[in-house]
Amino acid sequence: MTEGSWVVVPVLCVGIGAFAVYLVARLVTKDNRSLATLTAGVFLTGLVTFVPTVTATRQALDTGGSMPVWGGEEPGSVILRADPGALVIVGVALALGTLTSIYSARYVAHDRRKDLYYPLLLLMVTGLCGTVLAADLFNLYLFIELMSIAAYVLVAFRRYSRRAIEAGFKYLVMGSVGTLFFLAGVALLYRERGTVLLPPVNLAPVDPPGLWSRAGLAFCLVGLGVKSAVVPLHTWLPDAHGRAPSSISAMLSGIIIHSALYALIKVSLGVGMSARALGGILMGISVANMTLGNGVALIQSDTKRLLGYSTVAQTGYMMFGIGIGLHYGIPEAIQAGFFLLVAHAAMKALAFLSKGVHRFYLDTNKIDDLVGTASQLPLIAVTFSVALGGLAGVPPLAGFISKWFILGQVLEPGEPLAYVGLGIFLLNTILALGYYLPVVARLFMTADSGTGETPMPVGISVWMAIPLVAAAAAVIAIGLYPGPWWTWVEGVGPYLLGR
Amino acid sequence: MNAQTIGLLTILVAPFAAVVALFLLRERGTRFAGWIAGAGVAVSFAAALTLVPALYRGQTPALTLPWIPDAGIEFRLHVDWLTLPFLVTEAAVTLIAITYSWGYHHKDERTSVFYALLLLFGLGMSGTTLADGMVLFYVFWELMLVASSVLILMWGDGERRGPIALKYFIFTHLGSLLVLVGLIVLYDAAGTDAFSALRAGVDLNPGLTGTIIGLFLVGFSVKMAVFPVHLWLPDAHTVAPMPVTIMLAAAMLSMGTYGILRFPLSIFGRAEVTAFALPMMIGGLLSEVYGALMALAERDIKRIIAYSSVSQMGYILFGLGTLTAEGITGATLHVVFHAIVKALLFMGAGWVITSTGRRDITELGGLAKRMPLAAICTGLGALAIAGMPPFCIFDSEWMIFSGGFHTAHIGLSVVTLLGSLLTVVYAAQLIMGIFFGSEPEGLTVKRPHWAIVVPTALLTALALIEGIFPAMLFDWVAHELPLILGGQW
Repeated sequence: MTEGSWVVVPVLCVGIGAFAVYLVARLVTKDNRSLATLTAGVFLTGLVTFVPTVTATRQALDTGGSMPVWGGEEPGSVILRADPGALVIVGVALALGTLTSIYSARYVAHDRRKDLYYPLLLLMVTGLCGTVLAADLFNLYLFIELMSIAAYVLVAFRRYSRRAIEAGFKYLVMGSVGTLFFLAGVALLYRERGTVLLPPVNLAPVDPPGLWSRAGLAFCLVGLGVKSAVVPLHTWLPDAHGRAPSSISAMLSGIIIHSALYALIKVSLGVGMSARALGGILMGISVANMTLGNGVALIQSDTKRLLGYSTVAQTGYMMFGIGIGLHYGIPEAIQAGFFLLVAHAAMKALAFLSKGVHRFYLDTNKIDDLVGTASQLPLIAVTFSVALGGLAGVPPLAGFISKWFILGQVLEPGEPLAYVGLGIFLLNTILALGYYLPVVARLFMTADSGTGETPMPVGISVWMAIPLVAAAAAVIAIGLYPGPWWTWVEGVGPYLLGR
Repeated sequence: MNAQTIGLLTILVAPFAAVVALFLLRERGTRFAGWIAGAGVAVSFAAALTLVPALYRGQTPALTLPWIPDAGIEFRLHVDWLTLPFLVTEAAVTLIAITYSWGYHHKDERTSVFYALLLLFGLGMSGTTLADGMVLFYVFWELMLVASSVLILMWGDGERRGPIALKYFIFTHLGSLLVLVGLIVLYDAAGTDAFSALRAGVDLNPGLTGTIIGLFLVGFSVKMAVFPVHLWLPDAHTVAPMPVTIMLAAAMLSMGTYGILRFPLSIFGRAEVTAFALPMMIGGLLSEVYGALMALAERDIKRIIAYSSVSQMGYILFGLGTLTAEGITGATLHVVFHAIVKALLFMGAGWVITSTGRRDITELGGLAKRMPLAAICTGLGALAIAGMPPFCIFDSEWMIFSGGFHTAHIGLSVVTLLGSLLTVVYAAQLIMGIFFGSEPEGLTVKRPHWAIVVPTALLTALALIEGIFPAMLFDWVAHELPLILGGQW
């Protein structure tokens, strides 16, 4: 086995795992806990088999060698290439997958069709890994479709709910239009370039792309823009993330849309768009994303929709860091953007999982119904506050240190535009407090039920408590001791800048 | 690990250990939660005092641990002469507030959490003064905000505590963000977050230097609650439970002063800061007069004392703005003395409120006969806040005005001095309204808990002792001068 061949192992592992879990569910047992444990095991195996690829990529970066590749370049074959950004996203996805499947052991206990739930979750992550690892446009298309289709079904998984069906359908329609745009873009790019291969960023063509390629690129940007919920193509997100089961929302908000964002960056740079131009576009979009996301989140009354809009805003912060880095050629700013990606995955997953527990035991959705959580579900009050505090940027949690890193880089180029961006960023931080804090406040308020009865504390299933505590520990650990995480995302900046 | 680093760590670790114990015990610890908290903060206070001899020997107790090496960020703590007065004041106020809580707080199943949050609030303040790096400074700076807003949110008086806690959080966080911008620009220019690197000089273009100083001054003024960025203070002080009000008014406001001394006045030289001297003095004067007038207009005891803080912070800002040795020494002394007197006044007010159940001065009166000790303590506190000798605030105001007369703005200083007359008026109105005049009908007086009486009496004595023998504190405070404005006086 060569070094490169390890690249495919986690993808295969999760992909084959999907079918294996389905067969087990049909033939052996439908017991939810067994299926959840099995799925978590598959994710963990994927995570372990991923380690050699990480080591190989790090070596390649250190020595200036080529990234590990699996597959051939002849037409019709699958080709996967590891790169630092893909590693971060795959690692986060597999870790989140492990947490959500453990969580699901209790969370979907009352749902039917569990034999589809776990395989779809695994297929979605298979598609995600393929999307960020694929080194040619065609397979990228296939993987992104795989990921999306699994996601559409999972959003509408609770099909007895009319709103879930509506959200899933909306997501399906918009997502399909997105992939259609992407496919058209791929066709146009192929017409001019005569190949669908995506070279590593440092080997990307230096000539400016021709007319057809530029048109193709525009189609690709729109298509992938829908998937990564850039404003104004984000309208499906609050519905989908708000109506999906919370475990699925955690995956969708935590990592799925960021894999599409990474695909967008990878494709644009791979076909010869200059980092400077892409950075400019990302900075522009980021302002729209954070301002609209935060602004609209302020008027939400449904907790999960609020979290969905918060994702739109946080993705804006990430794009801001990455955009500054690409535009001005600062690797640390890109690194800071990816650091926030990791931190956000932990915080947003924690938020959705906490909300899911609340819904599971108390069956409410509205923000106002969170009043009294501290006395009924004390663990949830704590974990939800940690998540929201982190998202709001309260030190020493993960969100604060991410913002510190991003803002620390924004001023580096000394450009007036960057100061404007900084101002908008800070205004948004204040805006965001306006919706995170009232939620936290409600968690700790005591309900005036009028009857004078104090609601009794509810015991939480240990299957739910484990992922919650793990994610909360991650949010605190990233904030208190960001060193290792910061090093983990180190290679992304130089790689994307072609150094 | 020598004795100094152990002492330094103990200041933070002792209260933190108490917090952990309280969270582990939860409702099981209700009966002795107050004692655990008191022990934690008492050890912390004692540890802070053990570092004083080292400072006199010319050493700077410090501790550095690796944190984020790639970004030039380290976990650094230190105690220098600028830290000491603030650290000791803060720890003492926390100790007093926790003692006072024994008598003020009604025990229920959340009592452990209440004391734990008080400790975290104090921990945030001691960490802020001890931090020797910008990230750590900001982390502790926000910890005190988070802990105090949760305290207001969960134990505040009245239905509006939720919105008021939110207002307090957002308003002061806005100030913190201005500070954060300044910190990040400095971090960016220095490439590390250590204070020592900043004091060695950072390379900034002149336009940016002015902006940064402005951001720091406005940002820290929000925490000081100087007019017109004081808007969070009256509500927060009124709604917060009394121990939290004591900590807010007596200790947390002074963190803004510490920030101004630590950042703009320590990092930049006299040449860069001079442009801001007059605005600071004028801002101080406005705040002094506005706060005093509002205190005159209010009828709620807690709001009167709260607005008095706005007024007193005006003196401090004025003193800092003089940029003279006298003015800055006076401002730092005023931080300490204001802490003593303001805690005393709030404790006296709390004594009256818990005993009578009323807090509007129009519904009170004639209590001097029925609560003589409270009348003496609060009355002496009111005299002290009015700047009467021989109470301690007289000494610090003397220094502040003396600083004012050393500047070219003699007229402004005279106006500020005359403005202090208003303090006498509201202080007199407060005491007359509560303790003299005719007693309204239906006023019942309960016997107060000893933990309310004893600390109040002790503070009264302290206000007098510090007024007559301020030499030691003067000496402490004077040592900070070489650290400020490059030590050029």
